[in-house]
Amino acid sequence: MSHVSVYARSVWLQYIALFQWATVRGYVAYKVLLPVAQILFFVEFGVFATGGGNAIYFALGNALQLTANAGIFGVIATVANEREFGTLPILLGSPANRLVTFLSRASVNVIDGVLTVAIGLVLTAVVFRIDVSHGNVPLLALCIVVISFTTAGLGLLFGSLGLVMRDAIVVANILYYLLLVFCGINFPVGRLPGVLQVVAYALPLTRGVEAARQAVAGASLGDVAGLLAGEIAVGVAYAFVGYLLFRAFEGYARRGGLQDAY
Amino acid sequence: MAAFYVSMRLRFVTGFAYLSFLIFPVIVAAIGLFVLDHPGTTATQWTYGVLGGGLVGYWGVTYIDAGNGIQLERWNGTLEQVFAVPTPLWVIVLGKALGGLVWGMLSFIPTIALGYIGFHALVPNVDAGHFAVSFSVLTFSFLAVALSLSPVFAMWRWAFSMVNGFEFGTYVFCGLMFPITVLPGWGQVIAAMLAPTWAVRALYASTTSEGPHDYAAWWALSIALSVVYIVASLFLYRFVDRRARVTGQLALV
Repeated sequence: MSHVSVYARSVWLQYIALFQWATVRGYVAYKVLLPVAQILFFVEFGVFATGGGNAIYFALGNALQLTANAGIFGVIATVANEREFGTLPILLGSPANRLVTFLSRASVNVIDGVLTVAIGLVLTAVVFRIDVSHGNVPLLALCIVVISFTTAGLGLLFGSLGLVMRDAIVVANILYYLLLVFCGINFPVGRLPGVLQVVAYALPLTRGVEAARQAVAGASLGDVAGLLAGEIAVGVAYAFVGYLLFRAFEGYARRGGLQDAY
Repeated sequence: MAAFYVSMRLRFVTGFAYLSFLIFPVIVAAIGLFVLDHPGTTATQWTYGVLGGGLVGYWGVTYIDAGNGIQLERWNGTLEQVFAVPTPLWVIVLGKALGGLVWGMLSFIPTIALGYIGFHALVPNVDAGHFAVSFSVLTFSFLAVALSLSPVFAMWRWAFSMVNGFEFGTYVFCGLMFPITVLPGWGQVIAAMLAPTWAVRALYASTTSEGPHDYAAWWALSIALSVVYIVASLFLYRFVDRRARVTGQLALV
């Protein structure tokens, strides 16, 4: 079987078996209610704390951070759910190309990440009457696609932990909310202490969100090319390290027969 | 007491319990304090930042841990044993919910420490007497919510997903991190129907000399709404009991 067909089958099976929001109620709860509530909370808090003129800063930041809903929760859950459903030993026993299998974990969630941000932006426009149409919309769309990929890269890294850790979903929760602190979602990264700013720029989303804010302000691709290149580099680095970890943990688990022993 | 003791012991070995009372409140408090960290922030706003994270954690433990009091028994395969003992179900759920409340109160320790150490932020001018009563009323309202949600989550599994997905909305309508007076009219109507809202309002009023201080009315409203929740939940407990004992369908829901 070619790598392409393995990839396609893996993506399809991952969607029908492991995409945990593939029910109407599940999707409404975590892809509609959560974005509405998160944006509503941070916009109202931001207005209370800094004044009404900053509503768009909070709305846009939180709408973009919703990519992590898919990229972090979704990707980490693909490994965690394999364990829970008892299919992890079967997966690790298959001869399929590991890189293809590994990367397919992120595909559905990247698409879902873009959709989730779109839902967030539409809600922002409807509920808060915040209009981003005067900005560079194609560039904003590009930024959304890029950060969906890069957050999935981080998700792949921590998803590998699911091979040796029972409560990987706890890690997903922590990561999701830490991104709200570090990535310039609700306040500028410059407000963090120096060391934490280094951490911020070592994470996905930070540069992508900055680029998206500039796109909404009317910047051109040339203006934000450096930020987007940095964002892509960070995402690729996480995915690469994640793949190395995946192989290392897989080998460890196979040698000890520990595929689902944790 | 046995339910309280066992539920507390189980929390010490559960990763999610630490997430709820320690990590998540600190993260929310940190975001709030960083947002507030600019010239011109008033003492009242800082107070919302310092106490808000703790309230978020307190609420989170209440509805996740205590609200899932029956649901967790189902997941652990101990539902039938719980119904087989002579102790009424609501007494067992009450013991577990109280365990959740005690655990949730711990949320205030790391968030207040973060405010003080990281941002030199204090809660000024606390009226200790009114603060203590308001906090007690808030605890009663959270207990009422936990007791009410427990049979709801057990009967309808999707209900937990909905409440979980709308968690940030609860912070909004209960005024946990900013006053509900900033909400539009329809939002304030929703907020007024929630028992914790009035207790939280009284709690924040006890930390400032500004604004109205209608403690008696706010406490009365919070307690009255809490009692309504508890009375309504009694019918649900009977329903749950019937599904478990008579039809034997509860474990299958």
